[in-house]
Amino acid sequence: MMSYYLRLAFISMRRNPVLSSLMVLAIALGIGACMTTITVNYLMSNNPIKHKSDVLFHVQLDNWGPFEAAVDPNDPPYQLTWTDATNLQQAQQGIRQAAMAKSGGVVEPADPNIKPFQAGYRLTYSDFFSMFDVPFLYGSAWDKQADENARHLVVLTKEINETLFGGKNSVGQSVTLSGEVFTIVGVIAEWHPIPKFYDLNNDDFGRPSELFIPLQLKRTMKLPSWGNVNCWKSPDEEGFEGFLNSECVNFQFWVELDNPAERSDYALFLDNYVNSQKELGRFPRPLNNRLNNVQQWLEYNEVVADDAQIMMWLSLMFLAVCLLNTIGLMLSKFMGKSSEIGLRRAVGATKGDLFIQHTVETACIGVAGGLLGLGFSFFGLQGLRALYGEFAHKLTSLDMNMAILAVVIALVSTILAGLYPTWRACSIAPASQLKSQ
Amino acid sequence: MLKMENIAKVYRTDVVETHALKEFSLEVNEGDFVAVTGPSGSGKTTFLNIAGLLETYSAGRYFLDGNDVSGISDAARSRVRNEKIGFIFQGFNLIPDLSLFDNVDVPLRYRGFSSKERKQRIEQSLDTVGLSNRMRHLPAQLSGGQQQRVAIARALAGSPRFLLADEPTGNLDSKMANSVMTLLQEINQQGTTIVMVTHDPGLAAQAKRNIHVRDGQVSELHEVNTEHTRDVVNG
Ligand SMILES: Nc1ncnc2c1ncn2[C@@H]1O[C@H](COP(=O)(O)OP(=O)(O)O)[C@@H](O)[C@H]1O
Ligand SMILES: [Mg+2]
Repeated sequence: MMSYYLRLAFISMRRNPVLSSLMVLAIALGIGACMTTITVNYLMSNNPIKHKSDVLFHVQLDNWGPFEAAVDPNDPPYQLTWTDATNLQQAQQGIRQAAMAKSGGVVEPADPNIKPFQAGYRLTYSDFFSMFDVPFLYGSAWDKQADENARHLVVLTKEINETLFGGKNSVGQSVTLSGEVFTIVGVIAEWHPIPKFYDLNNDDFGRPSELFIPLQLKRTMKLPSWGNVNCWKSPDEEGFEGFLNSECVNFQFWVELDNPAERSDYALFLDNYVNSQKELGRFPRPLNNRLNNVQQWLEYNEVVADDAQIMMWLSLMFLAVCLLNTIGLMLSKFMGKSSEIGLRRAVGATKGDLFIQHTVETACIGVAGGLLGLGFSFFGLQGLRALYGEFAHKLTSLDMNMAILAVVIALVSTILAGLYPTWRACSIAPASQLKSQ
Repeated sequence: MLKMENIAKVYRTDVVETHALKEFSLEVNEGDFVAVTGPSGSGKTTFLNIAGLLETYSAGRYFLDGNDVSGISDAARSRVRNEKIGFIFQGFNLIPDLSLFDNVDVPLRYRGFSSKERKQRIEQSLDTVGLSNRMRHLPAQLSGGQQQRVAIARALAGSPRFLLADEPTGNLDSKMANSVMTLLQEINQQGTTIVMVTHDPGLAAQAKRNIHVRDGQVSELHEVNTEHTRDVVNG
């Protein structure tokens, strides 16, 4: 009987191709808009390092002023000072740890044919790569020695290696960064955690177009502070050293702790550290340290942007409008079939038979609309990519889950929308249509 | 076979109340061929629709095959229509985008026959009406007379005991009407009970029995004999 209903649905859609196409189109538009925004939301709320989410912790210390919290109501600042970041790094109390900050400057390729360009630097420690499971295409991270001695070593992203060396293995080659010559020790493979959980201060979904270099170069090369800098009081001394010794925050710190015991040990260590700093006259506020794992940190930062959420609700409303439209079209379509329905009733179809027949028909329209809508959302995401540039690359790709979701939403919503027209179709009296002939 | 006792049917609209049938009583025996005549608006179609369980009635009792079908559910009525009754309408009521084969198939689909049995029944009934060579055609490719034959094939395919025809020849010219009438007589001879509404006294005369309806009531009941004039006198 199912194949019979499917055949009838197909015949019925073919009988009125314009009306059928309009319905499919209406559903597809609604689904396309929804899937575009749902995908953006879904990817925004993604945890990019699920397998280590529970063992990687972001550290916050409350070095803020006595009279006002850094973040309402009483939260510590998002970032650390140079002093605290480097002290925690030195203490080596976690399994792995990496202080980090964003900087940038001019990259001068060795090849004179390639024009110099500006790029971001990720200043960090060698643990960054092992802690975050960063995949390498060529070479590897620098070693601990290089961390301490602030050696001029650099790890390139795949993209920058593409620009500088046409994608060839560039380990051992050199490149000039901010006027000083660096040796390339590694090239990472595609690695675009979305959101960029390790530094959510700006450009959460940005592509790390960064070169990775040792953090201690910040001091020796006097590298500028990119990203956010926040201070609760102005530096006591002038100049670059004055900034490094100030209470201004610009550094992130991540630590790997493999179990709850290690975590509580580390929390205790942080308390002791802050208390020892209090003796030096810093940290006027009560103890208020935070250790958030990746998931907690993403949630705390409410990474899913409000406007992305608003867009999602708007597009769901748009889908509802499209469905209302579909209800109207379906009603007129089913009413156009009333003489067939009356005849089927007369020769023995029950209301249930007709209900199934028409639900199968709406389901077919729903599936067709879902598939076309998937195509539309593909274009919608392409459009977003065009709007927001290539860096939105990862944010705007549909995965299999989303594709299935699109078809399921289309199917369920179309069947729901079809309930009223279907019910009307089933309640056509068997005699009414036959008499009028 | 069919027994109606004081059936009444009232149509209510916002403006008027129409008593389409009042105190309508009739008995039809197994194997009968009854022609129903009467002026337009007298209630012939209403009677046929009630007889075929397409409509409910306001009062009275109706026995089909000895069973009181007054109170049965909508689904049960569908079942009775499907199994016991074949319908032939004046407007043929074929589904335009289904082939003849699929049109005849419609009632069989709701019957739960196997596809083999359906195929055999469809072929056989299209053969009975002389259209077995056009099974894959669409209704629009046929003449009116042929379309009505398809409708008859559809009514016969489920081997109903009871055939109801509402002016089956009303849209046909007299030659086609006669051949449809001949077909109905053959079907009747094979044992199917037929009730046929018609305007045409000539066709009515070929039935075994005539009834005349007036103002929603049976005004005259008689066996047909050679005197056709009676219909005219009372018409
Ligand atoms: N669905 C309906 N609603 C209101 N009045 C109806 C309806 N069907 C039939 N009637 C009225 O009932 C009466 C009998 O109609 P009908 O049985 O169709 O007559 P016939 O078939 O003898 O021409 C007519 O007056 C007609 O107008
Ligand atoms: Mg009539």
